[in-house]
Amino acid sequence: MGFYAVQSLNALSFSMLLLLTGLGLSVVLNLMNFVNLTHGSFFLLGAYIGIYWLASGAPWWLAFPIAFAAAGLAGLLLERFPFRQFYARTHLMQVLLTYGLSVIFADLMRWGFGAQIISPEIPELLRGVVFILDMPFPVYRLFIIGFGAFLALALWLVIDRTIWGAVVRACVVDRGFVETLGLDTRRIFTAVLVVSAGLGGIAGALGAGILSAYPGLDEEVLILALIVVVVGGLGTFRGTVLSSLLLGFVMTFAKVWIPEFSNVVALILMAALLVALPEGLVAQKVRQV
Amino acid sequence: MLLARIAILLVVAALPLALAGDYQLRFLAEILIIGTAVLSLDLLVGFGGLISLGHAVFFGSAAYAAAITSQKLGADIFVMLAVGIVTGMISAIVLGVVVMRTIALFFLILSLIVGQIFWEIVFNWRELTGGADGLRGLPPLELHTGFATIPLTSGVTLYIAAAALAALAYLVARSFVEAPIGRALLGTRERSLRMSALGYSIPRIRLMVLAASGGIAGAAGALYPFVNLYIGPNAIHWTMSATMIIMLVIGGVGSLYGAFIGSAIYLGIQTYVSSYTDRWQLVVGFVFVLTVMIMPKGIVAGIKAVLRRRSGARSVR
Amino acid sequence: MIEMRPLSRRRFISAAGAAALVGPVAAPSLVRAAGKPLRIGMVTSLSGPFTGLGESMRAGIQMLLAENGNAFAGRPVELIVEDDQAKPDEGVRKFRKLLGQDNVDIVSGVISSAVALAIRDVVTEAKALTFISAGSANDLARKAASPFVFRPTKTNWMLGHTAGLWAYEKLGKTGCLTIGADYAAGREYIGDFVATYQQQGGKVGKQLWAPLGTTDFGPLLTTIAAERPEFIYSFFAGSDAVRFLRQMRDYRLHGKVKLIGGGALFDQEDVVSAVKEAALGGLNTCNQSPTAPSSAAFTKAYQAARKVMPGEMGTAGYVTGQVIKAAVERVEGDLSNKDKVKEALLAKEVETVFGPMPFDPRNNQAILDIYVNEVKEGPDGVPVNQVIHTYKGVRDPGPAA
Repeated sequence: MGFYAVQSLNALSFSMLLLLTGLGLSVVLNLMNFVNLTHGSFFLLGAYIGIYWLASGAPWWLAFPIAFAAAGLAGLLLERFPFRQFYARTHLMQVLLTYGLSVIFADLMRWGFGAQIISPEIPELLRGVVFILDMPFPVYRLFIIGFGAFLALALWLVIDRTIWGAVVRACVVDRGFVETLGLDTRRIFTAVLVVSAGLGGIAGALGAGILSAYPGLDEEVLILALIVVVVGGLGTFRGTVLSSLLLGFVMTFAKVWIPEFSNVVALILMAALLVALPEGLVAQKVRQV
Repeated sequence: MLLARIAILLVVAALPLALAGDYQLRFLAEILIIGTAVLSLDLLVGFGGLISLGHAVFFGSAAYAAAITSQKLGADIFVMLAVGIVTGMISAIVLGVVVMRTIALFFLILSLIVGQIFWEIVFNWRELTGGADGLRGLPPLELHTGFATIPLTSGVTLYIAAAALAALAYLVARSFVEAPIGRALLGTRERSLRMSALGYSIPRIRLMVLAASGGIAGAAGALYPFVNLYIGPNAIHWTMSATMIIMLVIGGVGSLYGAFIGSAIYLGIQTYVSSYTDRWQLVVGFVFVLTVMIMPKGIVAGIKAVLRRRSGARSVR
Repeated sequence: MIEMRPLSRRRFISAAGAAALVGPVAAPSLVRAAGKPLRIGMVTSLSGPFTGLGESMRAGIQMLLAENGNAFAGRPVELIVEDDQAKPDEGVRKFRKLLGQDNVDIVSGVISSAVALAIRDVVTEAKALTFISAGSANDLARKAASPFVFRPTKTNWMLGHTAGLWAYEKLGKTGCLTIGADYAAGREYIGDFVATYQQQGGKVGKQLWAPLGTTDFGPLLTTIAAERPEFIYSFFAGSDAVRFLRQMRDYRLHGKVKLIGGGALFDQEDVVSAVKEAALGGLNTCNQSPTAPSSAAFTKAYQAARKVMPGEMGTAGYVTGQVIKAAVERVEGDLSNKDKVKEALLAKEVETVFGPMPFDPRNNQAILDIYVNEVKEGPDGVPVNQVIHTYKGVRDPGPAA
């Protein structure tokens, strides 16, 4: 009994990890119709920053906002040049540009941070396990579940329930009209991109506790995030949340019952979903150039 | 004029035979073979508007099929090509059926996922494919004419075989593009709604271009293992597909011959620049990003445009 | 009767020309070889997943060269390092480049077994003297052995086998669980361990496999916790190893269950420095150990230069240099007769940082001392692999196997 309870918690924490990696990408894709393949690089940057911060002895809880800020800053610089010129271009061009940039960043980070694998010092408070019916489950993963849920909820609230969210959503649908209302859409898009990058960074700092940081992690994370977001369906967060839960649970229980085939099973499921629902789990009308 | 062009091409193609060493000729052969695969990708991307991250599947599965067949039946070049073309076409049609209803970003991700499923099969089916270690010790490629068997193992022979393949592939692709089916394909890319209204079956057109593209990639894939007498799962991984897209973009999407230029530039940087600095990926990244930003039609078209502007003529764009 | 023809000018010139050609070849080889640069090519991974390992290997051989004033047997050494990006295709290309374009006398290196297997035919066809520094697939000592390829490093079998012996003797006769990365190397290590362990009479329980690159070991660790094994034999390398060890600690299995693995699982430079305390108490069998007596001076020098204790790859680079140096010195710098070089290497063992290294004449595979390491807290609080036992002169079963 305890075994299945803990495995479900394992699944939930993995789903949360997937959601975290996909959140930033989902934001920028759904709210700005911009495919940003440098998302993995933001994640890795946040992971490195988080690790160095935690190792430096400064208050641990600051690591996450700092990672958010650092990645956000990188996003800000990139947004000015060259992202801004590509908002109106086709998805293909965006894919090509951002993929090329991610290759450049991957090498710069390898140069700057080195090729060795590094891992964070988990703060005292988050170490240890809780026992669910005498099966151990790490506290850090509970932290990830909690934090991830909090972030997702906060994001959803802002986008769906506040005026700012409405403004951003309106920008995607009809930028010109929003301009006539006197709002500077350029600033809005910049803000959205910075938030998206920051989300990538904070996800990296959180995820580093489980994944560690090393060159190549950015590409692995990017693929996961892309699959989760696209299979979830463009235009809404519900889709991303649903697909992370689905993928997380399938992968976890596949590892319990048929560990060698867990990857293949997950891939086949994702493919089957896209075949059955070619616009993703939660389809919505999105203007594609 | 056409004859003059062909003559020049033949001379250019023959130059390496006179000047280059065995090692360089083998390298050129590799460039031509991979370039042919990228050429087939151009049909999909440049003319069909279908950006696929699963293209390595056509190439890689044909390579494995040829390698495995050669272990049982020896490596007659025509048998290998036949096996490769058939495998390439079948895998393309399989992919086509699966991705039929998806477009754009969804197509991209689905092609990636299906590609990785193929990779997992190849990586884990150790008894057949050698798994992570791949297949080595393949029999040498041979050309069986009526009276003699010519082994295709040296740099010279491989280069000639690869050049012949590249030329043939180019001709096939060119004729496909200029045939009615090619025109229809362009139509599906530009005005898909109108095309369906006119009665064209978009899925059928897509399937045909996928089959053609898969066949050409398969032919290239069939020769690939015999350059190094080795084939490994890397040839079928999504990063290989991504690399082919990079090559295509650098060379020039939609130009067909740009595929070979892109292949040469990328492989050149990868092999030669990496001898001088650890930062070769940075170089590739920069070249790629610059191409995307300044010369979206590829390096050759970009240079042509610059020359045209210099000579005063107005560039038609 | 020998017919004597008058010496025409043409015959004289051609005779003189022939003599001029033959002369240098016949001259004492010492005169010819002395001073001529010795070109050594090393192919290692400087980008891709093995970048850290590749950099360590390069540093190792550069250290050896620097210590010897960049010269072996009076010949100055030119080292050309190439990047195979951990891809077999690229590895083949680089080997061909080194042999065909750079005209190196000796090729060496290679971390990935897949690359090693891919280049085996290239170097054999080119009849090039090759020293594989780390690619340790069993086949290279068996089916794929080549007269031109020397392996101054272990085979996977050596580590799996000795672990099986140690586990049966010291850890338990039952209650063993194995978990490993699901690819060629993982299958070899665990397969060899299980074969030896069962041969001794041991009983193996569940055998778990994780796909290469697994990010979340949680479900597998929960399964292990439920199974409650006596001890675990495991094989992971690189980032998989780091994640596995850390997550084992996260799930409170660290310290509760004895863990023994292949050398890569507790590699001093690559893994232990990343996971720190999570590695304490771990056991591994490996041909390298920073605390092995033969490694004492090297460990100190490496730590001074790179600020971290050497792992297998850094040491392997250095050892490759040592073996090449021994080979070159034994033939006094003359590498023209490859058979002579081979004979010289096979005749006597080479003293290396791994330990004494004789080569098996059947397959040019090194016969090595395999250490059983336990990760304990070192003098400055840093976890270190300490040798607790040595299996001397372990020899791979070879082509017969």
